[in-house]
Amino acid sequence: MPETRSQYQDELDQLEASALGGLDLVSAALGRTLEAVEHQDVELAQLVVADDDRIDGRYLEVHQALITLLATQSPVATDLRLISAMLHVLKNVERMGDQCVNVCKLIPLSGNEPPSDQTMVELILRMGAQTKALIGQAKRAFADRDVELAQNLVREDDVVDDLNRECFRLALEIGDDADRREWAMTMLLAARAIERTADNAVDIGEQVAFVVTGLFREFEDASHPNP
Amino acid sequence: MSLITKRTQQPSPAVFAASPRPQLLRREVGNVALEGLDAYYGASRVLQGVSLGFVSGRATAIIGPSGCGKSTLVRCINRMHEEVPGARAAGKVTLDGVDLYDPRIDIVAVRRSIGMVFQKPNPFPTMSVIDNVTAGLRLAGADRGEIEDRGREALVGAGLWDEVKDRLSSPGTGLSGGQQQRLCIARALAVEPEVLLMDEPCSALDPVATLRIEELIGELKERVTIVIVTHNMQQAARVADTTVFMLDGQLVEVGPTEKLFTNPDDERTEQYVTGKFG
Repeated sequence: MPETRSQYQDELDQLEASALGGLDLVSAALGRTLEAVEHQDVELAQLVVADDDRIDGRYLEVHQALITLLATQSPVATDLRLISAMLHVLKNVERMGDQCVNVCKLIPLSGNEPPSDQTMVELILRMGAQTKALIGQAKRAFADRDVELAQNLVREDDVVDDLNRECFRLALEIGDDADRREWAMTMLLAARAIERTADNAVDIGEQVAFVVTGLFREFEDASHPNP
Repeated sequence: MSLITKRTQQPSPAVFAASPRPQLLRREVGNVALEGLDAYYGASRVLQGVSLGFVSGRATAIIGPSGCGKSTLVRCINRMHEEVPGARAAGKVTLDGVDLYDPRIDIVAVRRSIGMVFQKPNPFPTMSVIDNVTAGLRLAGADRGEIEDRGREALVGAGLWDEVKDRLSSPGTGLSGGQQQRLCIARALAVEPEVLLMDEPCSALDPVATLRIEELIGELKERVTIVIVTHNMQQAARVADTTVFMLDGQLVEVGPTEKLFTNPDDERTEQYVTGKFG
C-alpha cells in the first residue's frame, strides 16, 4: 500500500528534532552555569541569563508549530501521543533553562571572593555533571523510544538527590561565621535548582514510556513513595 | 412487528412483540450479531468470516479504506446486499437472536426494524415533507391519527420539527442538504426501527449540517442501535462508542473508540488512523 502524509510525517520528525534540540541548548546552558559557579564568573552567569531567551524562543516556536499541527492534521494514536509528549518535553526544557537562570542569578549574591567551601562547590559541580548526563540520557531515550533507558533515569537521579542531601548536611555544619552561612544558604538554593533540573529529565523519561506504551505513570510518586 | 411471514415457531418476545406498535422508547432490543459472515459479488469474496456484535444503546463506527467491505457489511445487516445482481451473503446475522437470513423472514419487516440512511439524502422527490416521513407508515397501513402523531414524533426525533413545522406540505426536496438528510433520518425513525444503519451520512453535507447530524446520533443512540460507516475518522472519534477497523474484507480491530484512536493494538490500525495508508 502506498505511503501517504509524508510531508506531515517529515514535519513531525523535524519538530521532534527541534524539541529534543532544546535539550542540547539546556545542556550547554547548564555547562556554562557550572563553570560560572566554579569560578564565581558573574559575566558568564549574565550570559547564561541573557541566553535563556534562545531556550524560551525554541519553546515558543516548537509549541506553536505543534498546536498548528494539532489543528490542521488531527493526529491520532502514536502521533497524538508523541505530540502530547513533545509538549511536556518542551515545558521541561523551558523549566530547566529557568533553573539555570536561577542558579546564575545567585552568583552575584555570593560576591567576587565569597567565603566558599571547596567541598560544597565540588558537590554542586558533581550534581551538575550528573544532571547534564541525565539530560543527555533523557534525549537518547526519547529519540530511541528506549523505555529501559528512560526508567534508568530514576536511578541516575538518585545520585543527584544524594549529593543534594550531602550539600544540605554540609551547610548545617559550615560553622558560625555569618558570611559563610549566608554563602552556604545561597549555594543550597543553587543545589536545589540543579536537583529540580534532574527531576525534569526524569519527567522526560516518563513521557518516553507514554509514547511507547500509551500509558502514563510516574516512575516515582513523590507523594506516595512507598506503595 | 413480526419479521417472519409465516410464524411456525415460538418467536423471541423482544422482536415479535404482540403489539402492532412497539414502544419508541424501548431498551434491550436492537442487538445485532454477525457470525462468520461472508459476502460475495459474483465470485469475489468481499467479506471474509466477519463475526461482530452491535450492542443496543451504543453507536458503532466502521472505518477502513475504500473497498474494504464497510458498506457491504452494513448492507448485509438489513439484507440490502442481496439486491445487487450476483451478490449474496453467507453466515449468520441475527437481530435479538432472530436469524435474519431465515428463509421464512419477511425482508420488508427486516428493513423496517433496521433502517438505513445513505450517503446522499434521497427524499421522495414528488412528496411533501410530511409525506416523506410517513410514507413507510402509510405502506404499513397505519391509521391517519397514528400517522400524524408518529410523523411529528419522528421529525422531533430527527431534530427537524422546529425547522419544518410551518411547511410540512412543501416538497421535501425544497429543504437544504442537511435538512434533507435529517428528513431521511426522520423517515427511517417513523417506522420505529431498532437499528439505524448510516452509510457515510454526512459526506455530502457542510460542516454545520454534519455537526447537527453528529449531535443527533448522540441523541438517537439512546433508543436505536447506531451503526455508522464513515471515512471521516474524526467523525468516528466524535460519535462512536465503539470503532471497528476493517481491511480487505476482514476485521482488524474492534474496541472502544478512545482506545482505538489513542493507542490501537494492531499495527495496521495504527498505520491507517495516522494516515500512513488508505
